[in-house]
Amino acid sequence: MSLTQSALGALVLLPLLVAAVTAVLPHTPRRTLGVGTALVLPVLLAPVLWSTAVDGDVVDLALGGYEPPLGIRLRADGLSAAFLTLSVVVGTAITAYAAVLPHSTGRRIVSPPTMQPEGPAGPGGGAQPEPAEQAAPADRPGVWRPGHPSFWPLWLACWSGLNAVFLSGDLFNTYVGLELVGMTAVALVALGGRSSWQAALRYLFVAVLGSLLLLIGIGLLVSITGTLDVLQAGAVLADAPEETRPAAVLALCLITVGMCLKVALVPFHTWLIPAHAGAPSAVSPLLSALVIKAPVFVLLRVWLWVVPAGEDLAVLTVVLSVMGAAAVVGGSVLALRQTHLKPLIAYSTVAQVGYWFLFAAMVGGSSSGSPEGLPGVDITEDDVVSSALVGTVAMALGHGLAKAAMFLAAGFLKDLYGTDEMDRLRGVGQHHPGLVMAMGLSAVGLAGLPISLSFSGKWMLTTSAVAAGHYWAVVVIVIGTILSAAYLVRAIAPLLVESEDEGTAVEVPEWQLEHASVLTQLPPLVLGLLTIVAGFGGALLGDLLTVGAPW
Amino acid sequence: MTDGPALIDLALGLGVLAAAGCALLPRTRFALATGFLVLGVVISLVWLRLGSVDVALAEAALGGGILGAVLVWLAVRSRPGAASDASDSRGRADGRVRTGLGVLVGVVLSVLGALVWARIYPQIARWQDPVAQQMPDTGVDHGVTAVLLAFRAYDTLLETAVLLMAGVAVMAVGRDGGLHQARIPVHPLSSTLVTMARVGAPVLLLAGLWLLFAGSSESGGAFQSGSVLCAMLILLRVAGVPLTVTTRRWMRPALAVGVVVFILAGLVGPVTGQPWLAWDPQWAGTAILVVEVFLTVGITAGLYMVYLGLDNPQGAP
Repeated sequence: MSLTQSALGALVLLPLLVAAVTAVLPHTPRRTLGVGTALVLPVLLAPVLWSTAVDGDVVDLALGGYEPPLGIRLRADGLSAAFLTLSVVVGTAITAYAAVLPHSTGRRIVSPPTMQPEGPAGPGGGAQPEPAEQAAPADRPGVWRPGHPSFWPLWLACWSGLNAVFLSGDLFNTYVGLELVGMTAVALVALGGRSSWQAALRYLFVAVLGSLLLLIGIGLLVSITGTLDVLQAGAVLADAPEETRPAAVLALCLITVGMCLKVALVPFHTWLIPAHAGAPSAVSPLLSALVIKAPVFVLLRVWLWVVPAGEDLAVLTVVLSVMGAAAVVGGSVLALRQTHLKPLIAYSTVAQVGYWFLFAAMVGGSSSGSPEGLPGVDITEDDVVSSALVGTVAMALGHGLAKAAMFLAAGFLKDLYGTDEMDRLRGVGQHHPGLVMAMGLSAVGLAGLPISLSFSGKWMLTTSAVAAGHYWAVVVIVIGTILSAAYLVRAIAPLLVESEDEGTAVEVPEWQLEHASVLTQLPPLVLGLLTIVAGFGGALLGDLLTVGAPW
Repeated sequence: MTDGPALIDLALGLGVLAAAGCALLPRTRFALATGFLVLGVVISLVWLRLGSVDVALAEAALGGGILGAVLVWLAVRSRPGAASDASDSRGRADGRVRTGLGVLVGVVLSVLGALVWARIYPQIARWQDPVAQQMPDTGVDHGVTAVLLAFRAYDTLLETAVLLMAGVAVMAVGRDGGLHQARIPVHPLSSTLVTMARVGAPVLLLAGLWLLFAGSSESGGAFQSGSVLCAMLILLRVAGVPLTVTTRRWMRPALAVGVVVFILAGLVGPVTGQPWLAWDPQWAGTAILVVEVFLTVGITAGLYMVYLGLDNPQGAP
């Protein structure tokens, strides 16, 4: 029982403990505890990352001392470590942002005369409280105030759930972790006030349906393997008799459809736009950067570790890669047609999701029978899959960093100016140089231009696609890159260009501009810089992902 | 197999189908809710018949009791009339397509579920030996409790956290931090019902506590107990017992205490050089009982909070 193993459990249970405690406390200590957790989690991550990345060991812990198949094993291999790092880095940055700007956490409704707003009244904060009248406060309509203290327990529990999914070595436990993530993510969307409730409810239905499909799939897998442990189930399935194969394929299909719902792959993407665009400023980046990574992680885990590849998956892989390609192109085109900043960024997420599913084509094997490499270079099937995995994970991580920065910046502008309509935000960039720089850097990351992490990812994926003979994937990646550059320029350029018609530009009171201190611009800027800097870690990521890899 | 049991099984099976029909086909919400309640009772009987007392209790308490209460509440509160407002012909056609699609999906899912069950059944034997070996370490005698709070305590902890967060979510969309609804008076009921509720509440309290403490050796446990105790709170509220001050003061601590105590108990492991959630066999039984008591408090509060959320969370017309 080493300290590293204890850290493994603490990565999940510490934020959960703090989440439960903050549910009881008033607002200010909630923020303090939240920031404290954000400071401790990197310390807990460090030994786990050291063991996996430097020593090349898989860290695991049988909870309660009960080994599988009875007990549950936490397991951090290279894939877990990569996603955990994303969760901790982005989570810490957004926690800092929400702590500095409490009004970015949503809008709450209070009775008129009894409660005073805790934060400064921001735009759209509702009517001013009227003096007390004869009627009891309980009988009068409430007023909306900026800032929502429930953000803290919900976000910390969501963080705990994300780490639980990334660390889980058990199929049913993965389902429970996803439930925690889904439940809190829906509630976080609902913090945006009455207008976001419909989107939140729709998200709830989609999330629950996705979970149900996952649960049925896991039930089928247990029925074949007799164990819930990921490694044990994978080992049993690899030697399973032929007649159980249809059930395994059916389970894989159910899990895949469930996770596609949760990750909003085209054509299941319509719930994502109002949910991600309508969520509070501190929540949208969490949803896009982290929450949809949990189902992606589960998919990679089940496809590569549990159900062995085979000829009979050909149809599924083709369908998935076609849906991925449709997402890349369709999402980008729809993003180009948006007039508001946050919906544009939400459609960009839909497009990016598509890239991660091109991976399915490489798992499905090469189109020409055997992988074809350069003359004299021997490329095996495993090389194709491993390089596609590295590419996909690199793109998912790069998207996490860049999208968090982008959504933070867009949400900041929306909170400050009361709108995210791009025509009305013309020229506001001159007041926020740091913010515009953060958006520029994250745009480089999202488009996948050289030296960003997404560029390494696209490069690996392209290499893998060429080796497997899937040239169409290269075409999709190139089209996607061009379109994403176009919609990102469309998003950022107006901020830099002074409005020609003075009448349309938004005015903002001086005191609010003062409030937009340097400190608030720091989290997006740091995330934007990380998007670029992480590009140099592309090779490291490749090494990390070989730790505990199935080949 | 003799004729008697087969007839009972046949009758139960037909009963489930009939009750499901009653829960789906009527046009008014109240009839649908009543049908659902009947379905809950019949399904509990089916579970009992299958020998799964724990599942039967959970189904009766959660599926029949709490969910039934929510549905009846919705049926009573919402405007009377048809359950769907598909009045024009196009809406009706849409409705038919949706019904057809729903039935199709339902059939596919049921077949899959049956397939899973049929295949999973032979696997249970594989778990028997390890369970028998490790039961003494858990400190409890009942297999279900051992799975929930020893072998897979981590899953139970996260599930309890989901319920806690559901409570927090309901509070988050409410007014004044979410406990405003507790102040809204309930609509007066007929005096007979009030008397019934007042007589029933102590019985439910006793049943809830029995389920909690019986869990270590017999069927029962925190989840069943918590839902029965929540039903008691709902009855008291409906009967007009003043709970407002208590609710407003104790709801948040009660919600959180289960998860907090569970994690702190789990922390004993790393502090003493054991894995998380590991308890020494000597006092594991005590640890599990303490955790279960506080879990029951948390589960009761979480379910009751969700029920309170049925009232208009805005708190004003």
